Amino acid sequence: MSDAALRRLNLRATLLAILGAGALLAVIFGPAVFDRFTINVLTRSMIYAMLAVTVDLLWGFTGVLTFGQAAFFGLGAYATAMVLTHIGASPALMVLAFVLAFLVPLLVGLIVGWLSFGYKATPLYATVISLVVPIVITQLAFSGGHWTGSSSGLVGYGTLPLSLKGYFRLSGICLLIVATAAFIFVRSDAGKILVAIRDNEARCAYLGLNPERIKILLTTVLAGVAGIAGFLFANATGVVAPENTGFVFGTELVIWTALGGRGTIIGPIFGTIGIDYLSATLSGELPFLWNLIIGALFVIMIILLPNGLAALVDRFLPGGKRSQASGAAAIFGNEAASAEGSFKEKPLLQVKDLSKSYGSLNVLKGLDLDVRPGELVSLVGPNGAGKTTVMRCLSDGTEMTGGTIVMADRNVAGLTPNEIVALGVGRKFQVASVFDSLSVADCLRLARAKRLSPSPLRRSSELDLPPAAADILKLTGLDRLLDQPVSLLSHGMKQSLELAMVVTLEPRLILLDEPTAGLTKTERTTIGNILQKLTRELGLAIILVEHDLDFVRQISSRIVVLHQGRLVLDGTVEDVINSDVVKSVYSGGAHV
Amino acid sequence: MYDAQAPSPPKLALAEISSGYGAIDIINSLSLSVATGEIFALMGKNGMGKTTLLKTILGFVALRAGEIRLDGASIVGTSPASLIASGLAYAPQEHALFQDLTVRDNLRLALRSDAGLGQAFEGVYRHFPFLKDRLGQKAGTLSGGEQKMLILGRALMLRPKLMLIDEISEGLQPTVVEKIATALKEERRLNNTTILMVEQNLDFALGVADRWAVLKLGQIDDTGNVASGSRARILEHLKI
Amino acid sequence: MIILLDIITTAAILFIVAAGLLAIFGVLKIINFAHGAWLTVGGYCTVVTTAWGISPWFALPFAFIVGAALGALTELFIVRPLYRRPLDAILATWGLSIVIGQLITLWFGRDMQMVPNLLSGTIEFFGVSYSVYRLFTVVAALVIGLAFAFLLDGTRLGLSARAVIMNETLARALGIDTAKVRLATFMIGTGLAGLAGVLLTPLTSVDPNMGVGWLIGAFMLVMVAGSSFGSLALACLVFGGAQVLVSTFVSPIFGSITVALLCALVLRVSPKGFARE
Repeated sequence: MSDAALRRLNLRATLLAILGAGALLAVIFGPAVFDRFTINVLTRSMIYAMLAVTVDLLWGFTGVLTFGQAAFFGLGAYATAMVLTHIGASPALMVLAFVLAFLVPLLVGLIVGWLSFGYKATPLYATVISLVVPIVITQLAFSGGHWTGSSSGLVGYGTLPLSLKGYFRLSGICLLIVATAAFIFVRSDAGKILVAIRDNEARCAYLGLNPERIKILLTTVLAGVAGIAGFLFANATGVVAPENTGFVFGTELVIWTALGGRGTIIGPIFGTIGIDYLSATLSGELPFLWNLIIGALFVIMIILLPNGLAALVDRFLPGGKRSQASGAAAIFGNEAASAEGSFKEKPLLQVKDLSKSYGSLNVLKGLDLDVRPGELVSLVGPNGAGKTTVMRCLSDGTEMTGGTIVMADRNVAGLTPNEIVALGVGRKFQVASVFDSLSVADCLRLARAKRLSPSPLRRSSELDLPPAAADILKLTGLDRLLDQPVSLLSHGMKQSLELAMVVTLEPRLILLDEPTAGLTKTERTTIGNILQKLTRELGLAIILVEHDLDFVRQISSRIVVLHQGRLVLDGTVEDVINSDVVKSVYSGGAHV
Repeated sequence: MYDAQAPSPPKLALAEISSGYGAIDIINSLSLSVATGEIFALMGKNGMGKTTLLKTILGFVALRAGEIRLDGASIVGTSPASLIASGLAYAPQEHALFQDLTVRDNLRLALRSDAGLGQAFEGVYRHFPFLKDRLGQKAGTLSGGEQKMLILGRALMLRPKLMLIDEISEGLQPTVVEKIATALKEERRLNNTTILMVEQNLDFALGVADRWAVLKLGQIDDTGNVASGSRARILEHLKI
Repeated sequence: MIILLDIITTAAILFIVAAGLLAIFGVLKIINFAHGAWLTVGGYCTVVTTAWGISPWFALPFAFIVGAALGALTELFIVRPLYRRPLDAILATWGLSIVIGQLITLWFGRDMQMVPNLLSGTIEFFGVSYSVYRLFTVVAALVIGLAFAFLLDGTRLGLSARAVIMNETLARALGIDTAKVRLATFMIGTGLAGLAGVLLTPLTSVDPNMGVGWLIGAFMLVMVAGSSFGSLALACLVFGGAQVLVSTFVSPIFGSITVALLCALVLRVSPKGFARE
């Protein structure tokens, strides 16, 4: 990394450290300065801020819009209050209350996660569930009779033996712990997965990661954290009512996060504390006008500044996104992907009688195809011939409607993309499917994540790649751009990055969708050389769909021609060029 | 790069146009003109930009450089809706029909209002009489060939001055292709309609068009009047 | 018998409330999260007509016009910029509902408002005494349903709307001004929401938050129904019926969450809900 970048990074780190120290001081010494009212309000605001951090992790970083954190918070608060009210408030029971306040929301979070993030569930559905949960919990609270205090809630139970100032400090410290942990996590290698899921969930699956499971895990853990915040709240305020679990509160959390700046951790904290404090202060004088202003600001913010105030500040602070990537010195892994013996080995891929229909529309019929290691097979044919459908069926076992596909001796029927990737398959898409919000090095590290679990604490400054991927970086010049945010790369560079990421998976079979689309002549040649090297030297098998027939002629070892969903010809380059059938297919008018 | 220029004032003139998606330019400094009443066939392999070109003319894809003129007046920035309303018909290649709407409704949607519907229908029946009996049938239940004829019929509803047709003959039986070729030639004879058609079916295209051009990597690679040597010349470009 | 009438009238009321939201979801593919606020606006239109000393029946067209006008402004300034960001559209419209709610509170005050009923009293119906107004809602729901059916199948706007629902890209390729269709649909949907608000006044108290409770139920019904009014009617019957049964035999509090819960389960099992495509 350049000196200037290093200096910017250090400046940024210093500022953050000062902020942290200042916050700690405020938490410890604040109560001596603030009046009673302020201490009360700020204690509550800080607990809400903990919740805002969880909303930010889910929504700002992972892209899951949720109104449900209020429900988990309420569950924790009610669990606490119910224990303290109906059983008692001895130290042992206090511990019980704490444990329940953590476990009950955790379990409910697990169920909610499972419900929301099944395979092929839409983001809208997850949001829908996140609305239903608080409503259900609220109604349960209303209908709980004597147990939950119904509409008046629970009040007057024994709490922790802390003074007003003590609660302030406790909440403040908890907030600082949550904020620090969140901050460390999102900047770590593992934390990048969240952003990757938000940017391009499909690509995550095709790198062998399991986005559904990650989202369920995140929801569960953060539900538990929300529950702990509820425990604090129940003790600090001494009253728990249905409003604390409702979806209105859930939407307020989202509003505070949005106004503060989603995806920044710090923004939502300040947003929550600021707005909640001001709301309480102005409550006496202009409550409705205040809500009106907040609502209007929120609408304007969503339309004009979707990333909130913190993102605006971030742009003016020294060392923005550019220096966030670490300086990565590429280290080449010792595991050389071995050339798999001779080329006459058993086929890597065996497709028999593959068919695919959409309702009554037959897109693919009776396709037979065997691919061996070391082959570079080009799939060609006019539009609508079924080429992309073949690719889709090969990479997603739930797609085909008939026939069998066997990869590496395993029948892939019903396997999801990430499971197929685990068998040794990589897929590269026509429109470069990478992670725009991350840096080049981060993307490559994520490609490695399946084999080398990323650290949830540290940020690597090294990059461990298989030699083939490192070669691609050198050949295309990407090795000098490791810190570059992907969004600034040219189209051709993004294509090369995606190819490097796929090769990093160390696959045995690579599927490529129109790899030369939009590339210049030089870029085409480079890619062609890389692909040939991969098959000839490393023994990979490659299947590619292409329209650029010159390119196909130059690099393929074998060409498969499709027309109207059927295989027309499967042979060497010479066979196909001279075939009359193929000529008529391409000049139109042929009916197979 | 060739400039395919026609001898008399053109109906449609494209001057050095470029357009594309995202970071890529699909059409690169392309120039082309089509005379009034001319049938022009644009050939080319897949992925070379034929559909993108049509979409750029209509305004669905933003023009990044160059000029597009209709009857001498620039149409850059005009909304597709107003272009189409002024007499520019488009027959898309994919998803060109509302499968769940009836034949009648699909045809109706070509016009802005129901005024003049009867007369427009008559015009279509002249070319494709079978549609008269199928008005109540859902478009999705027609055969492939019938659907293509419906698409063309719909484009003709407007009595367009200029027609942009994208691979209408794709996947059709020779008899249907014949019918379509006849319809296009008839329409041009009756109304002096200008037609720009994108095609991969060589024989069909050469049987209908007056001039041709080959599109390669977003530029015109070769062009000429339809003559006896055209077929061989074009095949050279299209072969593998 | 009463239970049967309760089921039918509950379904009718749910249909009236959700119809406007469905129209918007079907054509624009977004959820108008301010729908509850429009219901409230409609309710307050009745307050205004009462203050002017006119019959509350006049509030019906009045609320439709006010709702549609407000809808036009919303579509132009809030929904249109968020065309490609549906989740943000949900948030922005929710923000709008807060703004509208606060404006109403500032103008009218927080207290409940009294308005005269459109119809009152009970009638002997198949051997039971039943609320006239509730029976009237069935008529209203039928009228609204038929009006939409006529609009969709019998008018050019309806045809254009159906085209946009099925395939917006193709509609544009045919020269249909899809922006106008979206605007018109949004206005009709919000106008209808205002009208629904008036129809709700005899059944619920008129205060600044009257609409919020209906939002989630309507939203869930629309998600299950997809884009067809027929499916919506079916969903209202099925889920409304379940709600009545649960309210009567288990508890009213659980009844109020039945719709939301059942819809969430149905969608998990069958993501397209009742939609026939």
